[in-house]
Amino acid sequence: MNSADFTILLLLMAAASFFCRAIGFLAMRYVPITPRVEAALRATPISVMAGIVTVAALRGGPAEWVAAAATMLMMRLTGWDVISAFVGVAVLAIARAVGF
Amino acid sequence: MSAASPLFTSQGIRRGLWRSQVLVPGVFVYGMAFGLIADQGGMSLLQALLISAVVYSGSAQLAAMTILAAGPSPLIATAWTLVATILVINARYVLFSATLRPWMGGLHPLKAYSTLFVLGDGNWMLSLKAHGEGEKDTGFILGSGVAMFLPWLVGTLIGHAAGNLVPDPKRLALDFLMASFAAAMMVGMAKKRDDLGIIAESVGVAAFAFWLGLPNWAPVMAGFAGGIIAFVATPREAAR
Repeated sequence: MNSADFTILLLLMAAASFFCRAIGFLAMRYVPITPRVEAALRATPISVMAGIVTVAALRGGPAEWVAAAATMLMMRLTGWDVISAFVGVAVLAIARAVGF
Repeated sequence: MSAASPLFTSQGIRRGLWRSQVLVPGVFVYGMAFGLIADQGGMSLLQALLISAVVYSGSAQLAAMTILAAGPSPLIATAWTLVATILVINARYVLFSATLRPWMGGLHPLKAYSTLFVLGDGNWMLSLKAHGEGEKDTGFILGSGVAMFLPWLVGTLIGHAAGNLVPDPKRLALDFLMASFAAAMMVGMAKKRDDLGIIAESVGVAAFAFWLGLPNWAPVMAGFAGGIIAFVATPREAAR
């Protein structure tokens, strides 16, 4: 691929990527933040996270389900989110290592 | 009520930088993986670094690589496919940045959009968590984003230059880190019984999207659905 082509594609990739990151914030400027809108915005992160976990669980198998359960249980018990996340990763790494 | 400019200080930036260090190992390893793939796909080191710098998203960059490495093609066709692919894969960032408006609204555009430039899944979750715990400084978001950006580039560089050093993210189960983090954050955020309903519905919507063969759309659709349900379930004038 020649440099000119790459430069054009790079600029387009940059524009597309930044657009996604900017447009949500920009568009919300014109949306009055009523209690309903605020409730919607507050519910979005937990919904997105549930979506991410669901996809990972569906893409994987029992090993991933056990790992996710380990993470959530650890989190429920301790409230340490980062450590719980790494516990899940460790459980999965071990499961894969033993051929599960 | 006039909107005073939200807090944005160097202490906030430093807090964000520091608190996000826990995510650095995963970001670094995935940066290496991309560097290696870019090298194998025929990209020079500079090209790989530029892609990592401007796209700043592992999933989108990987998809872009398959398109770029597919060989000569009319430029317009490649450009279209590239843009469409990136928009689809990064669609969730539209939602992420929308959720930051209540916090970042009123910030000077230069600060706001610089912060958004380095917005990623990990630092978005971390920032919202910090915000829920009382963090008011928007510098935190920028700091946490920058904290991810550097290892992403360094990882790309090392993966490209020394591919044999790249560990397999799957063997370390690092491919699961983001989902694991999301699971932990989700449990941490679920405080009311209503939240369980929202989670259940989100799981359903995401599973549906997955079943349709649209895994990339699943988090976005789940996010939208959850937002709509919360919107509808809230009385028009909620008692504060």
